[in-house]
Amino acid sequence: MADEVLRMQNITKIYSNGFIANKDVTLAVQKNEIHGLVGENGAGKTTLMKILFGMELPNEGQILINGKEEKIANPLDAISKGVGMVHQHFMLLPSLTVAENVTLGVEPIKNGFYDFDKAVADTQAIADKYNFKIDARAKVRDLSVGQMQKVEILKALIKGAKILIMDEPTAVLTPQETEELFEQLFVLRDDGVSIIFISHKLEEVMHICSRVTVLRHGQCMGSHDTKDLTQASLSKLMVGRDVVLKIEKEDPTLGQPVVSIKNLIKINAIGKNVIDDVSFDIHAGEVVGIAGVEGNGQTELAEVLSGLGIFASGEVLLNGESIKDKSVRQIRDMGMAYIAEDRMVEGVAGNMSIKMNIMADRFTKKSFQKGPFMDAKKINQMVDQYIKDFEIACDSPDEPVRMLSGGNIQKVVVAREFTSGANFLLACQPTRGIDVGTAEMIRKTIVKKAREEKVGCLLISADLNEVLECSDRLLVMRKGKITAAFPKANEVSEETLGEYMLGVRDMTGEEMEALL
Amino acid sequence: MTIDIVAFIAEIFRMATPLVFAAMAALICRQAGMFNMGIEGMILCSALSAATFAHLFQSVWMGLLGAILMGLLTGLVIAFVSITGKADLYLTCIAFNLAATGGTVFAMYMMTGEKATTSNAFKSFQIPNIDIPVIKDIPVLGRIVSGQSLLTWMALLSVFLMWLLLKRTRLGLRIRAVGENPHAAESVGISVPKVGYISFSICGIMSGLSGAFLSMSWVTYFMRNMANGRGYIGLSAQNMANGEPIGSAIAGVFFGFCQALSITMKNQTKFPTEFLEMIPYAATIIALGLTGMLTIRKRRKVESGQAAGKEK
Amino acid sequence: MSKTQRIEATMEVVRTLVALLIAYGLALVILFAISDDPVYIVQQFILGPLSSPRRIGSVINLAIPFTLCGLAMCFMYAVNRFNLVPEGIFMLSACTATYAALQIGNNVPAVVIIPALFLVGILTGVVIAFIPAIMERKFNANVVVVSLMLNSIVVFLANAILRFLMRDTSISYPASYELPLNAQLPKILSPFNIQAGLIIAVFCVIAVSVLFYKTSFGWKMRLVGENPRFAEAVGLSSVGISFAAQLIGGGMAGIAGTTELLSNYTRFRWTISTQHGFDGLLVAVLAKKNPALVPVGALFLAYIRIGADVVNSTGDIPPEFITVIQGIIILLIAAETFMSGTKNKLIFKAAEKNEKEKQTAQSAA
Repeated sequence: MADEVLRMQNITKIYSNGFIANKDVTLAVQKNEIHGLVGENGAGKTTLMKILFGMELPNEGQILINGKEEKIANPLDAISKGVGMVHQHFMLLPSLTVAENVTLGVEPIKNGFYDFDKAVADTQAIADKYNFKIDARAKVRDLSVGQMQKVEILKALIKGAKILIMDEPTAVLTPQETEELFEQLFVLRDDGVSIIFISHKLEEVMHICSRVTVLRHGQCMGSHDTKDLTQASLSKLMVGRDVVLKIEKEDPTLGQPVVSIKNLIKINAIGKNVIDDVSFDIHAGEVVGIAGVEGNGQTELAEVLSGLGIFASGEVLLNGESIKDKSVRQIRDMGMAYIAEDRMVEGVAGNMSIKMNIMADRFTKKSFQKGPFMDAKKINQMVDQYIKDFEIACDSPDEPVRMLSGGNIQKVVVAREFTSGANFLLACQPTRGIDVGTAEMIRKTIVKKAREEKVGCLLISADLNEVLECSDRLLVMRKGKITAAFPKANEVSEETLGEYMLGVRDMTGEEMEALL
Repeated sequence: MTIDIVAFIAEIFRMATPLVFAAMAALICRQAGMFNMGIEGMILCSALSAATFAHLFQSVWMGLLGAILMGLLTGLVIAFVSITGKADLYLTCIAFNLAATGGTVFAMYMMTGEKATTSNAFKSFQIPNIDIPVIKDIPVLGRIVSGQSLLTWMALLSVFLMWLLLKRTRLGLRIRAVGENPHAAESVGISVPKVGYISFSICGIMSGLSGAFLSMSWVTYFMRNMANGRGYIGLSAQNMANGEPIGSAIAGVFFGFCQALSITMKNQTKFPTEFLEMIPYAATIIALGLTGMLTIRKRRKVESGQAAGKEK
Repeated sequence: MSKTQRIEATMEVVRTLVALLIAYGLALVILFAISDDPVYIVQQFILGPLSSPRRIGSVINLAIPFTLCGLAMCFMYAVNRFNLVPEGIFMLSACTATYAALQIGNNVPAVVIIPALFLVGILTGVVIAFIPAIMERKFNANVVVVSLMLNSIVVFLANAILRFLMRDTSISYPASYELPLNAQLPKILSPFNIQAGLIIAVFCVIAVSVLFYKTSFGWKMRLVGENPRFAEAVGLSSVGISFAAQLIGGGMAGIAGTTELLSNYTRFRWTISTQHGFDGLLVAVLAKKNPALVPVGALFLAYIRIGADVVNSTGDIPPEFITVIQGIIILLIAAETFMSGTKNKLIFKAAEKNEKEKQTAQSAA
């Protein structure tokens, strides 16, 4: 026990909306250890780590570092006590250089001015020590995702971090980049850094962690040595029941193309082709999956197809009609439904009632008007029905959406988008950050809509399990291009997919031709 | 009807001085990610404070100090409400400007019993003008460069200092970091509120100097609502230059030109004054429109692919 | 309603009331501190506005333009645009309505001329509100700065119209010729001497409330105001709707200016901005963008204003101190953290209690 560097004792955190994120959680980390912190999305892992890093204050409980009780009121406190954090969403300043990003907060000073040359030298020195290949003078916006993560780790190391929190570090990496990251984590561990590795990928946790602490619905399910666990037993601790990852579905019977994209090009504000000559069709009755490391044009593709973003050239036909210069309203009327990537930004208006959020895409239609006013009775009936159908847990249809849990908010989104009568469903990260039950319902409904209602679905997701299981055809997107296409998604291995996502291999146009 | 060109140019720099200070005040907040409209009210309060301090202590320098202190104080008030109080910054600033407009008149009345100006009750003080020995004898240049207020030169200096601060110091790096991504700055232990408070303090000093110029150099007394939109013009100036110090200063001088034009024509032509008075405000609106149009056009051009060829 | 929701709703009301109390208390403290006869002055400030039917009438009369301007700002605020043109429109619409009235003359019956003048006022408002709105839409220009600059321009424009087109040179101060009798709105409810604008204000409050909550345009505005990106994604035109809302807000400010002029004046004689637009903003903030609550905020503001006027006439206190109080009220209400500690404690307690109930229920089962 002498080597215990961190103990978080009986931590409870209740957010101001009444949500209990952590309840009586205890976490202990030894020296020279990679400690896994696992749990489903929304189990409270990130909250616990925000508390450790001083970004949230716990309502109850205490934190001991090297056996001494510490109050961590803000990130500065955390850093001064040797805690470093690599956030899931990078905390970088794209317009500044690597050296400026790394030294931010501990800037070298000469004669009262910022010493840029020393910043570069310091950054390079620490990068060399741990064998990170990186150019300290490069602008961060020009780096790849893997390199950005290295900048994040360097940021923590230069401040002398002895406890390094890695929040889902592999979520945005390809399998190959992940392997490289693990090698570097082992080096760090042997050098005396304790690492808290947050993940919900069991094989990664089993591979690199010696101990693991499990959270479920904000409660601690105990700490265990990984050698005493199997993936199956760990998964049982996490979700309390066996996860069914297989979705039973027969082969699709393809109908007419619902969407047909030809030579699509989109150029962003700095002149880069974010979608670069993309062509493919989506037929009625099938689910087309798009896999790829995030930031390779998927978001922009969704923007174009939903009508929210413009494109430079090419053609997009929806049910035979071009969407060029059409408003979102027109495109929706042509048959598009859209589950947005970030539900709080494009999926709901948080302060508005469940009722208004469900009705948002259709309340302007004639059938909901009664003279100059809204037909309140008809709307209420409809909303009550959807709340029942989609099992939205709420007190009343007038409750503001922001008071619901993530899963229930997403149910509000799908209650709207699944019932709009569209024959093209554009689903972006439809199950990100929500509970397993809701995720399963949404995935099954997507497949069901394709099979039973002959809807053409485009599923864009960073969750490999999801794209592999739900899709019929699978495309890979990298650097704005389609670089691979597979006829049957559930026959593709994650390894193969990773190679295409990283660009180790590309398919030729001929190889893919029949599949686009 | 002849317009004295040399006097006109000297007038431009005189009118530009408070605007350049205001632009510097606006840009430091903008670099930290905040659109501070409260500068208008801050300048107004500082101007009254300058006149009051100078009168109380019978010293022009105490007046200057009073203006700077008031700028700081009011900046910190806005910072407190918007940062610590988490209020919407627009609403905070509108409310603050409202309170400043009435508050300065109220305070002036309580001190002097007058509601329009302090010119009768308070002794006048003026920040000294700088005569430059050799240059003052050069015909045209002398009349423009020499004899300008000390604060005009300080305005010039402040542009350079602001540039140095933003590009070459740790604080500047931190301010820019907070402005670009507050979460990232926070994650490395930079206190975002602290940087906000510091930015508001610097903004306050600049607003204070702007106010001091108004009541101790432009004229030598305080009058109600004498900021008269200068804070907003300063905001527009930094907006035109995307928050870059030198560009913002040039934009400030441009608006100074518009005000000088308005004043000179009012004195020397028979054109209806109501329309001449509109010039600076109309210029601000047009300038905002033009800069906006250029930015949008540039982005459109890139996005629609016309610039793609050049890139490759 | 869930417990959390109920706590939030209650705390919103309590917060607003506490903010008003603090500001009102502060006003009393200021009066007490600066007055020679504090007890009398404070008494006058509190009771003065209610001391005679005429004064009660003037509170209500003052609340009318505040209500109409508050409604105008509700439109801007609902779509999250601080388009402050109502300030300028209030003055200019009164000016253009006067000009139109003088042109039409006294030969037209009231039922024709009065609606016509309101139309002129509304059009003025729509045209002026159009400028910042289009500048933002086309050029991404900051709507607050543009509208403030425009307000300054509008004041000079109104002055120019007064000086060059309708100045009655027979009077010493700048004022227009007298309005035709048919254009002047009558006074109603004689002991209180209330202007007929009351009817217009009541009608507008009802109409705007219905528009906000019962029509699809109201839903659109509120969705766009809460989350414009989401509104876009479900097929609403954020830009178009916020544009329309600003134009309607401008028209409403036009109604406000015209009503004020036709009810309370016989000549147009404003030469500086009247501050009614900013008063409208305060009222809209007090009413939390809810048009039905606007009259309440307007009455409160009118009450303290008349109090300040009474104090000004009986004592030696300049009424400007009320604008300071007004600013402080907005600041307190706008500050999210003001009393948020109390709210969070209540929610925390409720959540804890809930949890305990669940546990006892579980152990019982």
